[in-house]
Amino acid sequence: MSDVDTHSGVPDSDMLAAEYVLGVLGADERADAERRIVRDAFFARAVGDWEKRLLPWANTVESVPPPPQVWERILDAIQGTPARRAMPEMRAGWWSGLNFWRGLAAGTTALAAASVAALFIMLRAPTPLPLTASIDGGGHRHFIATIDTARGQMVVSPAAFAAVPDRVPELWLIVPGSAPHALGLLSADRAVTITIPGNLRAHTNTDAALAVSIEPPGGSPTGAPTGPVVAQGKLTSL
Amino acid sequence: MDVEANRKLLADAIARVATGDRGALQTTYRLTCAKLFGVCLRICRQREEAEDVLQEVYLLVWRKAASFDPAKASPMTWLIAIARNKAIDRVRTRSAARAGGPVDLAAEVPDGRPLADDALEQAEVTQRLHDCLDGLAEHEQKALRGAFFDGVTYDDLAQRMSVPLGTMKSWIRRAMLKLKACLG
Repeated sequence: MSDVDTHSGVPDSDMLAAEYVLGVLGADERADAERRIVRDAFFARAVGDWEKRLLPWANTVESVPPPPQVWERILDAIQGTPARRAMPEMRAGWWSGLNFWRGLAAGTTALAAASVAALFIMLRAPTPLPLTASIDGGGHRHFIATIDTARGQMVVSPAAFAAVPDRVPELWLIVPGSAPHALGLLSADRAVTITIPGNLRAHTNTDAALAVSIEPPGGSPTGAPTGPVVAQGKLTSL
Repeated sequence: MDVEANRKLLADAIARVATGDRGALQTTYRLTCAKLFGVCLRICRQREEAEDVLQEVYLLVWRKAASFDPAKASPMTWLIAIARNKAIDRVRTRSAARAGGPVDLAAEVPDGRPLADDALEQAEVTQRLHDCLDGLAEHEQKALRGAFFDGVTYDDLAQRMSVPLGTMKSWIRRAMLKLKACLG
């Protein structure tokens, strides 16, 4: 660095770290700097110090929600990566397993619908045909629900839903002209099977919708949603 | 939720990502994707490219979460560093093939003030940086903003502001020395 202002006693490596973090270096210089971070602990520390100084500036950049397919692609890409923890117990069989439903959630709606259709053909489910709902909010698909109307059972699998500390997601059936009906608590990291109460089975059709609210542990104390409704989706038939 | 609680929530999520917890990656994504997408979009200037970069960022987080050390950096700083590096690397690769035209810098530069919804970084940290930036000469601030937010090279910055390359380098380096003296 032969420019005018290297006279202040700041070592060149510190200025190179500053330039790297600021982002003004060309491709080759950046590659050199990145190699140096790996082998030169002093330089790596200088980069860390500059990141601490400068990067809070990035918080002034306007937030822009990315389209939901970005998360779906990330999920797709990590499906093949072995999870390093045990999968939850799958009482209801392989089809309620996390990977299967996450995989389903990761596809497009059309693909998900096709997969669910294929699944139910495989299971030789009796008519009537199952219903499905993509429970979305804020540009994200939070959960996917699939309803076996013949058995009165619903499997709800998390997609992009993120757990909220000390709060639980609760599922509601929204029937036009009546108050929300509590269906049960959901989980951010495993599929949940819910048995639809007998009095609600007739209302579980394409006129209805599902909604998820955020409630205290144990669920809404009042029988009606008390926390924010973060996601909802219409029931559609396959 | 206050800043400390948010920061702890995010740091805990990244720690759980390191154990292979996909739910924790979702949490990390939900808390940070809009900010990081804004950062990538600003540098890439193309939505599709910024989406690709954002995907790469979280896949890197998935693989490298174990290298995050909360004692060394705030979780948001760690994530922003990854996002900026990925985005800058991407535009450098692109510009090797096709040089982008100059952009109207004045029109692109944001206010540079903290946004009200910034609940993930300590307000004092950001405020201190802004106080130090305010101490710089106007041309130094302008050059730093172009470099930092748009991720452009010395060459491009010199062209944008119509000064020789050597002048731009000395502006930036002088400004960085002042910032370091001010921030410590």
